Amino acid sequence: MDTHFRNIIARIFEYIRGEGGSFDGLAKELFALQYERVEPYRRLCDLRHITPKDSRTIPAIPTNAFQEFEITSLPPDDRPNVFHSSGTTSSEPSRHYHNAESLALYEESLSHWFNQHLQPKQRMLALTPPPIQAPHSSLAYMLQSVQFSEPCFTGKAKNDAWIVDIDETLQFLRENRTPITLAGTAFSFVHLCDGIEPLKLPSGSSVMETGGYKGRSRELSKTQLHALITSKLGVPPENIVCEYGMCELSSQAYDTRAGQGGTRRFRFPHWARTRIVSPEDGSEVPLGATGVLEVIDLANVRSVLAVRSCDLAVRHEDGFELLGRTPLTESRGCSLNLA
Amino acid sequence: MAELEFPNYFLIDLPPEARLDPGMLREALRQIKRNRRQYIHEMSTDDVVKVIARLANNWCDDLFPFRKFTLEEGPKNMGFSLETLRKGLDQFFGRITEESLHNLLSQEFGDSQRLDRPASIPEERLENRMAMAVGPELIGHITAGNLPCPTLMCMIHGLLIGSAQFVKCAQGAGFLPRLFAHSIYEAHNKFGACLELAEWEGGEAHLEDQLFAEANCITAVGRNETLSAIRKRLPEETHFLSHGHRVSFGFISKDMMTRAIASEQATLAADDVAAWDQHGCLSPHVFYIQAEGIVGGEQFAQMLADALDQKERNEPRGNLPASTAANISELRSVHEMRAANTGDIRLWQSEDSTAWTVVFDHEQGFTTSCLNRFVYVREVADLDEVLRTAEMVRNQISTVGLAATKLDASDLVHQLAHWGVTRVCPIGKMQNPPLTWRHDGRPALGNYVRWTDWEM
Repeated sequence: MDTHFRNIIARIFEYIRGEGGSFDGLAKELFALQYERVEPYRRLCDLRHITPKDSRTIPAIPTNAFQEFEITSLPPDDRPNVFHSSGTTSSEPSRHYHNAESLALYEESLSHWFNQHLQPKQRMLALTPPPIQAPHSSLAYMLQSVQFSEPCFTGKAKNDAWIVDIDETLQFLRENRTPITLAGTAFSFVHLCDGIEPLKLPSGSSVMETGGYKGRSRELSKTQLHALITSKLGVPPENIVCEYGMCELSSQAYDTRAGQGGTRRFRFPHWARTRIVSPEDGSEVPLGATGVLEVIDLANVRSVLAVRSCDLAVRHEDGFELLGRTPLTESRGCSLNLA
Repeated sequence: MAELEFPNYFLIDLPPEARLDPGMLREALRQIKRNRRQYIHEMSTDDVVKVIARLANNWCDDLFPFRKFTLEEGPKNMGFSLETLRKGLDQFFGRITEESLHNLLSQEFGDSQRLDRPASIPEERLENRMAMAVGPELIGHITAGNLPCPTLMCMIHGLLIGSAQFVKCAQGAGFLPRLFAHSIYEAHNKFGACLELAEWEGGEAHLEDQLFAEANCITAVGRNETLSAIRKRLPEETHFLSHGHRVSFGFISKDMMTRAIASEQATLAADDVAAWDQHGCLSPHVFYIQAEGIVGGEQFAQMLADALDQKERNEPRGNLPASTAANISELRSVHEMRAANTGDIRLWQSEDSTAWTVVFDHEQGFTTSCLNRFVYVREVADLDEVLRTAEMVRNQISTVGLAATKLDASDLVHQLAHWGVTRVCPIGKMQNPPLTWRHDGRPALGNYVRWTDWEM
């Protein structure tokens, strides 16, 4: 068995729980291990002439590498779980492999930070399909894992698309009169809100919304979406929490705590550090400037801890503001939109 | 900063808070039509040519206030570096002379006087015929945002054929057209009186309806969906000249791939990639290198990378918004991962910036670049292979930059013409077509006019 990984996983567990360890030390050690064991990553480092011995920085692997290459140290016979990126493009999805140990760490990571932003004791109504219907969704897996009690899933997976079962959702709401946590993707909230008459969730209920639209519903700005949720579900804005996550990471960021109000800023937990870097030279941008979001996530133990997202973000002292995906086509120039 | 006072002469001069309404637009369109009847109608083509040639000459002069202002304020308004802008202006205006304008008129009409009076060419004289050409009363130009030159060229064409013109600039793309319009007004206020410009976001149907109702010719540059949407809204009798987006590539035959010639061609190829930061339809996305020359495709890619690096020192690429730069760095990372892991791809890139990128790979066919000096180099057996594998962009290629021996060139051009390419030129000239260029293979001026034949 893999004692190196087992050993570092145990120490990352401790670090997550605040029982000691240093971020830099663990990151360096994990980088060395991943350099040795994740072949496509090692080759990238070699091409850049970076080795764990002499490097002060950990090269971030782009999320698109998860589409074309197997970014994992797990042997093919030890990959019981794989999470796929969502999206409606024709390209291959990203794949992030897990085994029992890496999943345990994943669960620890997501519950810890979720608990600090939402209320794990509340009953959860999830607008995603249940993991059994969406086995490759890291979001469905997460919603299944974070609450103390079994969530009610009212999303359905139909030919790769997710829809919300409005009747089932309304039935749950009729039967359940205690405060709940309602969680789902931005487009599932649009589906729900467009399909119902205004109602009021029990006071104290909160909403966790995540992800973009990917063409699956009409697209609203964050403010418009929150206003829609408030008007249709009676949840005040301060009880709406945005989550930022992706299948290539094992930790998530939240932009506020339920009930807190005030300025929204995304923050990862202490075991995942962000850098907002200039797309020009890769250096960290000054406060207030826009760059590409990179995350060093200690919970990404069997893939690669340093991940470069496709998202643009504004760097702030107390977190970051998400601007969203970099557009994949050039709009200013004379170019063709080839299918 | 240059001091330049613009009189409030065109709609585009209105302060941003002033909202253009359909009534104002209709009145402006009718006014320029009235002005055309009153002023332009009586001017001879020779006079028009003189005014345009003098104006173009002024635009090449560093002391000309409009040029000065463009060079000072252009980089931040248009996103090109000073050097790229200067070179672009020099190339564009440098080719506009009295001689080239007369050549253009002769090419299009057989006789450059035909816009003034009935005239004939020898073949017509044999049949005792004459003919004259008349430009549309009002042309509406719906311009694209990517490059200023095509817009300026449309305006010059309209002046030559004596039409009133309305130029609808894409949002944020009116900087240079506006300056050019003011320079026309200053050069000859009667010309200026037949010109109107405004800037609005595409899809303002209530404004566009006014334009479509008043103009008898509409030109438009844009995506195919945009063009067909416009076509549907035009009255039956309105003449519509549309230009869909096009892309371009280069081809170098193996006989040109000696060390000396290849290196020279790489320098010229870098000129084409750098011109207007690759934003035009005429900018190359891919260079195909025929295999079995002394220098191979991979070596050529290296030479092109060196040339682009050199170019960056003398003629830097413009600053990009973070999203565009992020797009380039994301694409680079895709290629970098492949280079590291599959070994059949190589990547050259500017250090600590996204200024230029060269990818050599073994993919087949055509790949559209993300632009801003990002170019692919591929090795192919011959031109047949290029055309076979680039079927997806057939009829969407504007220009092919060609380097081949004189002996082969004519056959290659024949092949390209039948495949649907509308312009072939030397590498290094891709972004600099002559004034007589037939855009998308159609007559430059002949397309606008209506003929009146006179059988005597």
